[in-house]
Amino acid sequence: MSTSGASREAVIEIRNLSKIYRDFWGRKKVRALNSLSLDVYKGEVFGLLGPNGSGKTTTLKLLLGLLFPTEGEISILGEPASNVSKNERIGYLPEESYLYRFLNAEETLDFYGRLFDMPASVRKERTEKLLDLVKISHARKRQLKEYSKGMTRRIGLAQALINDPDLVLLDEPTSGLDPLGNRDMKDLILDLKKQGKTILMCSHLLADVQDVCDRIAILYGGELKVLGRVEDLLKSQNQTQILSSQLTPAALAEVEAVLKKHDASFQVDHPTASLEELFLRTVQESKERPGHRLVTPDSKSQAG
Amino acid sequence: MDFDPTPFNFAAAGINWLLIVGVCLGLMTVVSLLVMAGSRGTRGLTMWTDEVGLMASDLVSLSPRRIFALSQLTFREAIRRRALLVFVVFGILFMFAGWFLSASTLAPEFQVKVYVTFVLRAISWLILPVVLLLSCWGLPEDIKQRSLHTVVTKPARRLEIVLGRMFGFAFVGTIVLVVMAVVGGFWIKRQLPAVAQEQLTCRKPVFGYLAFKDREGNDAAKGINVGDIWEFHSYIEGATKARAIWTFINLDASVLDSDGNLRLENRFQAFRSHKGDMKRALYYQYVLVNPQTGLRVPIPLKTVNEFRGRTDIIPRKLGKVAEASPAAADEAETAAAYDLIDDLVSKEAVVDPETKNVIYPAGTMLVEVLCIDPGQYLGMARPDLFIRTPDLSFWVGYVKAVLGIEMMLILVVVLSVTASTFVKGPVATLLTFCLVIIGQTAREFMAKIVNNEEAGGGVFESIYRLVKHMNPTTDLPEGTATTVMRFVDSALVNLMWLVYNIIPDFSFFTRSLSYLSNGFDVNVATAVYPGLAITLGYFIPCVLLGYFCLRTRELEAK
Repeated sequence: MSTSGASREAVIEIRNLSKIYRDFWGRKKVRALNSLSLDVYKGEVFGLLGPNGSGKTTTLKLLLGLLFPTEGEISILGEPASNVSKNERIGYLPEESYLYRFLNAEETLDFYGRLFDMPASVRKERTEKLLDLVKISHARKRQLKEYSKGMTRRIGLAQALINDPDLVLLDEPTSGLDPLGNRDMKDLILDLKKQGKTILMCSHLLADVQDVCDRIAILYGGELKVLGRVEDLLKSQNQTQILSSQLTPAALAEVEAVLKKHDASFQVDHPTASLEELFLRTVQESKERPGHRLVTPDSKSQAG
Repeated sequence: MDFDPTPFNFAAAGINWLLIVGVCLGLMTVVSLLVMAGSRGTRGLTMWTDEVGLMASDLVSLSPRRIFALSQLTFREAIRRRALLVFVVFGILFMFAGWFLSASTLAPEFQVKVYVTFVLRAISWLILPVVLLLSCWGLPEDIKQRSLHTVVTKPARRLEIVLGRMFGFAFVGTIVLVVMAVVGGFWIKRQLPAVAQEQLTCRKPVFGYLAFKDREGNDAAKGINVGDIWEFHSYIEGATKARAIWTFINLDASVLDSDGNLRLENRFQAFRSHKGDMKRALYYQYVLVNPQTGLRVPIPLKTVNEFRGRTDIIPRKLGKVAEASPAAADEAETAAAYDLIDDLVSKEAVVDPETKNVIYPAGTMLVEVLCIDPGQYLGMARPDLFIRTPDLSFWVGYVKAVLGIEMMLILVVVLSVTASTFVKGPVATLLTFCLVIIGQTAREFMAKIVNNEEAGGGVFESIYRLVKHMNPTTDLPEGTATTVMRFVDSALVNLMWLVYNIIPDFSFFTRSLSYLSNGFDVNVATAVYPGLAITLGYFIPCVLLGYFCLRTRELEAK
C-alpha cells in the first residue's frame, strides 16, 4: 500500500535544516548538514542511510536537542526540538550504549524509569517486561561493564523503550549484534511498528534497512540525495522475475523457447539464499538436532 | 577569634545579595539579547523569548523523583570512583598523629587547642579537595563519556541534572564528614592527656566594657603603657587610686553557676618595677559595685596567675573586707550580708540628670580591679576578665564547628558543579580552587582596594608609579593622562567590587573552630547562621547559572 504524505500525520518535520560545526573562535570547521527537509510519518519505519560523515547522526542529535541547528526548524511530536517535554514520548538508542557502566541492568532500567517520573510499581513491571523482551533477564544483576557488546545493545534498547514511547530513534541498532541478535532486533522493530509506533533509524547496514524500513532517505555530504519508499526505490521496472519450484527440464526448455521467441534476454539459475538466512537456518537446525552435522555440497565433496 | 562576635546582619546581607544577583542577571540579559540580536536579527529576539519561556517552564516542572534519582546516581558514581579512599588517608593520618602532637609540656588548654585544631583542620583539608575534585569532574566526565546523552534525551530538565549533581556530591561529602567527625571526636577524647580532659569544655563568657581610672582616681581612656610596643594591654599601678572598671550589663541569676556562685575568669598580666615579695604573686582585688545604689563590696585579695589566668569563685552571699588594703589578704570577711544579684545588680537604669542619657541600663554591675602591691603593675585588656556562665558540653561546640565545615563543603560542591557546567574538569578544578583560596585569604586585601583604602591608586596608577619610581603617597601631576588613568582605574575598581562580592567569604565557616579550640562557645547566630546564609545565597544563583550554561551548551559539540 502506498503511503501518501498528505494523508498521514507527520511525527517529525524537518525544514531546511543546516548544521555547521565551528571551532573555539567561531570559525567554520565543517558543514555537516545542508538544507535538509523531510517528514517522518506516524507508524512508519524510516531509515536514514549514508556513508560515514554523511550527517545521519548529526540529524538525529539535532532532533534530540543534543546539538542546536545553525539554520532551519525541527518539530517532533508537534514540539520544537529544544523542548524537553517532547522526550516524554520519545525513546532513544544511541550509537554506542552510553549507559552508566557501574549500574546493573535492573538499576539501569529503574534509573531511567525514574527520569520519566514513573511510580515504583510501574517501573518494576516495565523492567521485568523489558528484560524478558531483550532476553537479558539472566544477567539482570550484573554490572553493565561486564556485558558483551551485544548485551549492552540489548539493555540500551530496553532503556529506550522504558517509557513505551510513541517515537523510537535508533542509531545503528544492529551494530555489534550477532546474526541472532540482529534478527531479534529487526523482529522487535517490526513488532514496534505493528504496535503503531514510529521508528527512525540510522544505519549503514543496508540489508537491515531493507528488511525493516518502509521509507528511506540517503544522505551524502550532509545533503539529501534520495527519499522514498524502499520497494519503489529498489524495484527494477525493466526486468521481470519468475520464481518456480519443481520445474522439470522439459518445462524449463519450453519456457526458454517462449522467451527466445519474444527476443527477450534472460538468465536461468537457482536462486541463492542470503548468508543471514543460511546462518539462521543452521542455528535453528542445530538446536533441533544437537550433534548432527549439516551436509552441504562442499562438505560432501571433501568427504568423498 | 573575635571575643565580642557581631551577629550576622541578615537584612543587610539580603539587600546586598539582591543587588549583586540583580546586577548579574541584568548583565546576562543584556549580553544574551545583544548576542542573539546581533547574530540572527529579529529572529534571534524571537528565539530568545522562546528560550526564556522554555526555561521558565523548566523551573516550574521540577520533579523531586528525578532529582532524587540523579542524586542517587551521583552518589553511586562517587562511591565507584573510590571517593571513600579518603578514609584510608584519614586513618593513616590519625594513626601516627599522636606521635607528633603529644606535647605534655604545654598547658592543658593549649593541648586541647592543638588536638582540636588538628582534627578539624585535617577533616576539612582532606574532605574539601575530595569533594572539589569529584564535583568538578563528575559532569564533564559524564559529557565526555556521553552517558549524559541518555539522561538529557529523557524528560530530565537540565536544572534537575544540576540539582541532582549538587545534592549527590553534597551527600557523599556529608557522609564522609560525619564519619570523620565521629572518629575525630573519639580520637580527641582518647588521645588527649588526662590532665587536659577537664579543659574539654565550651565556656560561655559574658564580656563587659572596660574603662580606667588613673593613679589620681580620674577617668582615663586607658591605663599606663609599661613599654610594650603592642598597646593591647593597659596597666594599673598598685597601691594607688588606679582602677580597671568592667561594666557588665544584662545580668541576672542565670549567669551564676550550678552552685549559685559567680565565676570571674581573668588573665591579668603582671609587670614588676622591683622584686617585691618573692614568695607570692601580685595581689589584686575585685570590688563589686552597684551603679544604682553605689554599694561597694570589696572581695578578699587574690594572686595573679601569670600566663595561665585563673577562675575566681565569688559566692552569691557576700561579706566584705577592707578595700585596697594588703591586710585584706589575712582579714576575715564580715558576715554574709549582701546578695550578689539582689544587692549588686542595678534594678533600674542610671540616668544622667542633665542630659537624661542612660549611663547604666538596669541589670548592670561594675567590677573594679585594683592592684594592691605598691610599685607593681597589673595589665589587662577588655577580654581579660569575663563572667563565666555555666559551661556547655564540648561536643556542642564540636558539632557547631563540624556544621561550619559542612556548610563550606556544600558551598564548594555548589561552586564546583556550577563551574563544571561550562568548562572541562581541569579548568573547573582550577577555577573553584582559586575561588576557595581567594575567598579564604585575599578578601581583606580586595576590600581595601574596593574601598580605596590602599595607597597608590588602581592598576594603571600603580604601574605608572612603579615605572616612575614614585612612592604611593606622592601626588600625581595633574593632566589629561592622569585623569584618563584614574577613570580607567575607577572602572576597574567597580569591576573589582563585583568580583569582590561574587567571591564567597570562607572565613565565616571556620569561625566556630577558633572559638572551640580556645575553649569557648559561640552562639548559633554567629557560628552557624552566617555559613548557612552564605551557602544558600550562592546556591540559588549558582543553580540558575549552572542550568543556563548546561541548557545553552551543545553537549555534542565537536
